[in-house]
Amino acid sequence: MLESYFSYIIRQPVISAPVFLNLLPILLIWRKRAYNEKLLLILFVYLILKLCVDLVMFDLASHRQNNVIYYNVSIPVRYVLTSWMYYYEFDNKSHRRWLLFSWPLFVGFSMWDIIHTNSSIGDVHDQNVVLYSATIESLLMLFWIMLYFYDTIRALKIPNLLTYPFFWICSGLLLFYSSFLFIAPVMHYAARWDQWMDIGTLDYIPYVFESVSLILFSIGIAQYRDNSYAK
Amino acid sequence: MQNNDELKLALLIASLAMLMMAFFVIAFVMYYQKKRFEEEKRINDIEKNYNRLLLDTALNSEETERRRIAQDLHDDIGTMLSLTKLSLNQLSKLVANSGDEKEESIMKKSQSLVEETILHVRRITRDLVPTTLERFGLMEAIEEFIHKLEEDNNLVIAFQSNTEEFPRQGQKLELTLYRIMQELVNNAIKHASCTKIDIVLEIDEEMIGLRVTDNGVGFDPEKIKESNLAGLGLLGIESRLAIVNGTVQYEQPAKGGSSAIARIPVNPASGNKPEPLHPFRRERVNI
Repeated sequence: MLESYFSYIIRQPVISAPVFLNLLPILLIWRKRAYNEKLLLILFVYLILKLCVDLVMFDLASHRQNNVIYYNVSIPVRYVLTSWMYYYEFDNKSHRRWLLFSWPLFVGFSMWDIIHTNSSIGDVHDQNVVLYSATIESLLMLFWIMLYFYDTIRALKIPNLLTYPFFWICSGLLLFYSSFLFIAPVMHYAARWDQWMDIGTLDYIPYVFESVSLILFSIGIAQYRDNSYAK
Repeated sequence: MQNNDELKLALLIASLAMLMMAFFVIAFVMYYQKKRFEEEKRINDIEKNYNRLLLDTALNSEETERRRIAQDLHDDIGTMLSLTKLSLNQLSKLVANSGDEKEESIMKKSQSLVEETILHVRRITRDLVPTTLERFGLMEAIEEFIHKLEEDNNLVIAFQSNTEEFPRQGQKLELTLYRIMQELVNNAIKHASCTKIDIVLEIDEEMIGLRVTDNGVGFDPEKIKESNLAGLGLLGIESRLAIVNGTVQYEQPAKGGSSAIARIPVNPASGNKPEPLHPFRRERVNI
């Protein structure tokens, strides 16, 4: 079993790296007890869920099994948890309301997309990557991130962005979703079990920036001080 | 196949462009935030300096006005009272020659009233302009102030300093310390119902510290500042200190009463020996 894992890591180091990099921010949150802060507790829960999904997908990939169903299901969960952090950071009530409003809509849309893309849900072997959800998720997240940055520079409520954990988290998310925005729709056509299409470097870009975002999350959490977290 | 490669290239370029934009957004937010904070800080500094200037001007005007009143009291009323006393002395001799006891008694009463008024005018003049401070320095002025207070009140006021020869400081600084000491002691007498006041004046290489402690009822400075009129004295102290980059701290000692500590950076008097100031010279005071 371990042999297949090691073999996969050696074959696909770029894809495997973010799976294990998940541990870095998780351990930092645990060590710094940053989970006492609501926003970082949500990040903690998201990272643990992501680690679990990534490990399952890693296991399936190393055993040459289709793991796309987990990826498809993780999209709405990822959106709800990552955008939830913005709920606590937005001061504007209407922004919060729109954020809350987007959750059921996006979750419903994702479910529809999974069903629409895959005629048979029970057929795990022939699952395809969703057609629209990942792109819509990227667009929505980029919108919330830009809105948050706009609010930040307008309100001047954070004296030093470099020591503010959520700025690093936001930057990580911005880079990840920016790298993913144009590649996400292509994945539906490229990542097919029986008709694999080689898209070269493009395939690795989201994984590279997933690792970068996890490192940025870790830098942000490292800035966390128990009594100085300013909303 | 060629179309496929072109599509991949287009996607790669689009993704890289998107990533560059993301990096640009992050850099822009950091840069813009920094610039805005610097701008805010600059405006705050200008506002602070302007307020300081206003305060300084207001205090200068207050001191100038005090001096003008003292001068008028001395030059006009004081002179007239002295002349009145002189005339009364001459009249008293005439009355004494006439031998009328009733007239003599009225005359003596008038003389004593004039003398008392002269003393009052002198006291008011001294209160308005601390001439001892200007001539002999802070320690002597505080000692004189204490001496006068002890005469008028049933109070024990102790004064000590960590140096025998307190070096002369800039005129503004000495006056600020003196007025703060006056305000704190007057507050203690008026509001604290105390029987003992300790004044400590300390100086080191960098700072001058003035501590006024009483054994009265004590007070919460924050609550007093919140109430509009009652906090004027304390606000006045803070305003005076703001001009000389000083700070004030209030404490409530465990044994009761209250303690105020004012700290001001040392600002020695300039090399030229300050010209002795006379309270009754008509000039603008630059504190």
